[in-house]
Amino acid sequence: MSHDHDHNAPAPLVDEISDFEALEIAVREICIEKGLFSAEDHRKFTEFAEHIGPTPAARMVAKAWLDPEYKKLVMTDAIAASKAVGVDYLNPTGFGTPSDYTDLRVLEDTPSVHHVVVCTLCSCYPRPILGFQPEWYRTPNYRRRLVRWPRQVLAEFGLTLPAEVDVRVEDSNQKCRFIVMPVRPAGTEGWTEDQLTEIVTRDCLIGVALPKPGVTSNLELRVHHAAKPAHH
Amino acid sequence: MPVPEKMHAPADMAECAANWTPVPLLEEIKEHGRVWGDLAEQYGVTNPDPPWKTSLDGMCEVLASGSCSSMAAAEKRWLAGDVARDAMDAPLPLLERRWEEDELSATLYQDVPFPERQLLALTHSLIKRGLVDPEVLKARMKEIHERLAAT
Amino acid sequence: MSQHDRTHHAKIATGKGDPQCFAGTAGGPPMFKVGDRVRIKDMPDIFYTRCQVYTRGAVGVVAVVTHESPAPEDEAWGHVDKSEWFYIVRFKQTDLWPEYPAAFANDTLQTEFSERWLEAV
Repeated sequence: MSHDHDHNAPAPLVDEISDFEALEIAVREICIEKGLFSAEDHRKFTEFAEHIGPTPAARMVAKAWLDPEYKKLVMTDAIAASKAVGVDYLNPTGFGTPSDYTDLRVLEDTPSVHHVVVCTLCSCYPRPILGFQPEWYRTPNYRRRLVRWPRQVLAEFGLTLPAEVDVRVEDSNQKCRFIVMPVRPAGTEGWTEDQLTEIVTRDCLIGVALPKPGVTSNLELRVHHAAKPAHH
Repeated sequence: MPVPEKMHAPADMAECAANWTPVPLLEEIKEHGRVWGDLAEQYGVTNPDPPWKTSLDGMCEVLASGSCSSMAAAEKRWLAGDVARDAMDAPLPLLERRWEEDELSATLYQDVPFPERQLLALTHSLIKRGLVDPEVLKARMKEIHERLAAT
Repeated sequence: MSQHDRTHHAKIATGKGDPQCFAGTAGGPPMFKVGDRVRIKDMPDIFYTRCQVYTRGAVGVVAVVTHESPAPEDEAWGHVDKSEWFYIVRFKQTDLWPEYPAAFANDTLQTEFSERWLEAV
């Protein structure tokens, strides 16, 4: 029996309203009725969230690897440099968001220094240019342990660095937000910007992985389903 | 490996955290609500996030915004007892919400996947502050189910 | 309800961004410069703070002077013209954690402080 993909079939949809979906709407409507925020303001912040795409930061790094002038801009004014990869921090709110602010800094790795980013206080993350933070980034497990046992935590991500490479942890506890610019790996000579962008994964930009030719995504952690599934 | 010190939260936040009582409505949703991972699998949908995720994030942001420039000036005034809760500029500042989310994720909602967990924690924080009434919420959810199911 | 103008922040920050909207409001140049050795003051912490406990009393080096912004612990009641300079300070991990392995003595950690938390060494 043929399993050819039917290109005329609509994409599958979830055809039911979960309690969670109804809860989100209900909470939002009640908050608006109470005057905690306006529908218009909520719309603006949601639009911001929806414009957050996958890793424009990867392209920023790839461009910086290829163009020394752009790299200078990235290192001195990353917010301005973000525009070249399609990210305008001031749009649509006009001033950034309470979580994101508008002071982005790029931490340049060298052969002797490797950076890794954490927010011990909550889970601040450069979302406009990097997408949403991974779930593990938000957990106390990562936030409490990375500052004190960075090499152990990196090893848990499969990254073991030799003693000659210094590990530098950046705890982003104020308004600055950070991404890591890894060292361009060997084996990428003559590569295009697109090819380089592909190997700079989100985890490389946080600092828990190194870019490698042939590795274009970091394995998503399996969703941890509820021990007692809610629908049973 | 020794347990590292708890990330610093103000004293009275730690007290609040010790007093988490379940909210019956949220316990019910926790038990019977269908999480996105299961729904996506059942229907063959590959989106990693549920459709309400960005709206939830927008809501978290807008609740954390206000006239205060400093993210924590409002929190500080509240903690110092200088202003009543309803005079704070931001209804639910970021750090408060995240600290409570961490506490709830380790206790009441530890078996709930993300982002359902974030939604339950946000709702719990709002209820705790008297900003949302669970009875009103329950009735509204029923009305929403009816509204969205209507053909 | 609140006496404060809920649109105040948007009015000052729109088009500029935050913390850019506070540029020039610290009332003077930064007290410290890159390379200065500083100690993190262990100030009374009755109220809220963003200064992590694990850095209190530690000595580090200013790595970056970042921007001006109201300090999170600020007493100001919506007086957004009161700001401080902020600094990223770099520490040796072996100075922060007693058990940090000597084999990795060059490992560092850096994090950001507002000026009130720093004193010259």
